[in-house]
Amino acid sequence: MKTLSRENLNLWLDGLAAQQSLIAPHLEAQGVFYRPVQRAQEIAWEADRPALSAKEFLFPPSERLLKVEKRGPDIRLEVSPSAAPQAIFGLRPCDARGIRVMDAAFLETPPIDSQYASRRENTLLLGLACRSMGASCFCTIMGLAPDDPRDMDVMFTDRGPTLAVQALTPRGEALLAGLPIVEEPGEVEPASRREVGGLPTAEAWKESFGDARWAKHGERCLSCRLCAYVCPTCRCYDVRDEALPSPPGEAHFERLRAWDSCTREGYRLTAGGHNPRAAAGSRLRNRLLCKFVYYPHQYGPAACTGCGRCLDACPVNLDLLEIGGALQEAAQ
Amino acid sequence: MSISETMQSTARDLLISGQVQRVIGFEASPRGRVRPAIIDRPEEAERLVWSADCTHNLTVYLQRALNRDNGHASREPATPPARVAIVVKPCDSRAINVLLAEHQFSREQVFAIGMACEGIRQGAPASAPEATLQERCLRCRERVPVVHDVLLGEPPSALPEALPDEALAHVRGLPPAERAAFWLNQFDRCIRCYACRQTCPMCNCPTCLFEQEDALWVGMRIAPSEKRAFHLGRALHLAGRCVGCNECERVCPMGIPIGLLNRHLAETVESLYGHRAGMQAVLSPVTGMLSAEESAP
Repeated sequence: MKTLSRENLNLWLDGLAAQQSLIAPHLEAQGVFYRPVQRAQEIAWEADRPALSAKEFLFPPSERLLKVEKRGPDIRLEVSPSAAPQAIFGLRPCDARGIRVMDAAFLETPPIDSQYASRRENTLLLGLACRSMGASCFCTIMGLAPDDPRDMDVMFTDRGPTLAVQALTPRGEALLAGLPIVEEPGEVEPASRREVGGLPTAEAWKESFGDARWAKHGERCLSCRLCAYVCPTCRCYDVRDEALPSPPGEAHFERLRAWDSCTREGYRLTAGGHNPRAAAGSRLRNRLLCKFVYYPHQYGPAACTGCGRCLDACPVNLDLLEIGGALQEAAQ
Repeated sequence: MSISETMQSTARDLLISGQVQRVIGFEASPRGRVRPAIIDRPEEAERLVWSADCTHNLTVYLQRALNRDNGHASREPATPPARVAIVVKPCDSRAINVLLAEHQFSREQVFAIGMACEGIRQGAPASAPEATLQERCLRCRERVPVVHDVLLGEPPSALPEALPDEALAHVRGLPPAERAAFWLNQFDRCIRCYACRQTCPMCNCPTCLFEQEDALWVGMRIAPSEKRAFHLGRALHLAGRCVGCNECERVCPMGIPIGLLNRHLAETVESLYGHRAGMQAVLSPVTGMLSAEESAP
C-alpha cells in the first residue's frame, strides 16, 4: 500500500487550498457540514458523515443560467461563466456515488447540462474512507461500502500517523505526482461493514404503485423538502425568469434555477389547476419510486446511495428502510 | 394501568363508540424514536404511546384531517372524518385555540386528549435516560392543556422554578448592528426546505407568500435576501399566534434558532397587548382583517 504522512498531507492540502477552493467536512455549532476551508487544520477529521451531502458544490441550491439585458430594440444574452476549480476533500463514498448518480442525468444523457458539466470538470473528488457505518447508514444494501473508492479521483484511508492513498483516475495520478508517498508492505485494512435488511427489487417497488400503505405514509408526511435537500442524488430543480434591478430605459432579467422536490404540494401542478399528485402519499411514493424505478430506467443507476440522511432528518420519522422492508415482505 | 395503556383504551373507546373517526397520537418508530401516528380503527389503538419523548405538535395534522377543501389536498381517502381525537400537550393545545379563533374548524370537530405534561426530553432517542428536558420545557409553567375533553395523567402539585430565557435576554441586549449580524448570519444558513413551515400548525396559508408563482414579493433563489425575507416574514406572521411548541427549530436541518425569534415576538406582543397566543380562542391583536375598512369606499 502507498502511504502519506499526516504532516505531508496537511502541507499538501494547505497548498491545494491556496490554489483553488478546498471544500472539506467542517465542524460548526450546528454540526458538521462540507464547507470551504482555508487550511487543513480546519478539517473535522473525526466526524461522521456531514449533515448535508456535497451535491451543492456541483448543483448549487440556486444559480443563474442566463442574464437578459434589454435596451430598446437590443437584447443581450449573457451565459454564466464557467466554474472555477475546486477540490472536495474528505468526501464520503456515499456522497461521491451521489455525484456519479447526478452525472448520469446531467452529463451522460443528452442534452448535457453545461453548468453542471463545467463544475464537474473543475472538481476533484478526494475521498476519505469511513471507518465504520453509522447507525442509519445502509450503503451496503446499495452495493457500496464505507471505504468504497470507486467514484473518487483519490481515496485516502486514515491510519493515524499516516494515511493510505490510492489514485483512481489519471487526474488523481497527476495530482499525487511529486508527493513524498511511501510504499509500505501489507494491504489497507477494510472498514467494518454492517449488513442491513434488504430493500425490494425494482420490480417490487414498481408493483407497489397501487399499495394502500402509500396513503397511510402520506398522512404522516408533512410535504416539506428536507429529505430531498439532504439527499446526495435528488436533483430536481425549478426554472424561472425573474426581473432584476435595471437602469432607466433598460430591462434586466435573469433565468435562474433552484432546488425543488417532488414532495412539495405544487410539484406536479399543471396549467388549469389539475394536480395529478395532489395527495402527499402519492408524492412520497414518487420520490421513492424515482430512486429505485424511474431514475434507473431512464438514466441507469439507482438514485439512492444508502447515506441514511433522510432517515435521520425526517421531522416525522418516515423511514425508507421501513417502508421498503414492509413492501419486500409483502412481495415475498 | 400505564399512561400509554390509558391512552390506548381512551382512543379505542372513542373509535368503537363512533365519537370520533380518527385519532392522532404518538407511536414508537422502529428506530426507537417517537413519531406521529394517525389511526382510524380500534385495533390500531394498541400502537399508541405516551412518553417524555412525544415532542411533535400534532395539531399540524388537524386541518388536513378535517378539511378537504382548504387547498391542502394532501390526504387520502377522500371522505374526511367528521370528528378527530388528538393527543395534546399544554403547548399544543394552545394551537387549537388559535386555529379555532381563525375559524379553521369548529370545537365540535375536535376531541382533545389532554396530557398532564412534565416536559419533553431533549434529543430523539429514548435510549438516553439521563437526557435533560428541552429548554422550552424548563421555561414552561403549564402542566394542563388549556383545551381538553379528557385529561390523562396527574399534573404535579408543585411546579419547579421556571428558567429565565437567557438566550433571548442575550440577543436582545446586543447592540443593534451586532444583533442584525447575528440574525442575518443565522438566516443565511437556510436551505429553504420549508420543514419549519410545514411542521407549523399556524403556517396554514393555502399558498405561502414566499412561494408565489409570480415571484412578485420574494424570488425563487435560495440566496441571502430571499432567506432573510422568508424568516422575517414568517416570524411576523406568527406574532401573537406562535404558541412556542418549537417544532420549527427542532426540525431545522441547519440549526437556525427560529424559536428564539418567535419568542422575541411573543414577548413583544405580550408586553404591548397582554396577549398570549392560544390561552383563549381569540385572534392575535397584530394579525387580523381590516373588516370595516374593507367595505368602505
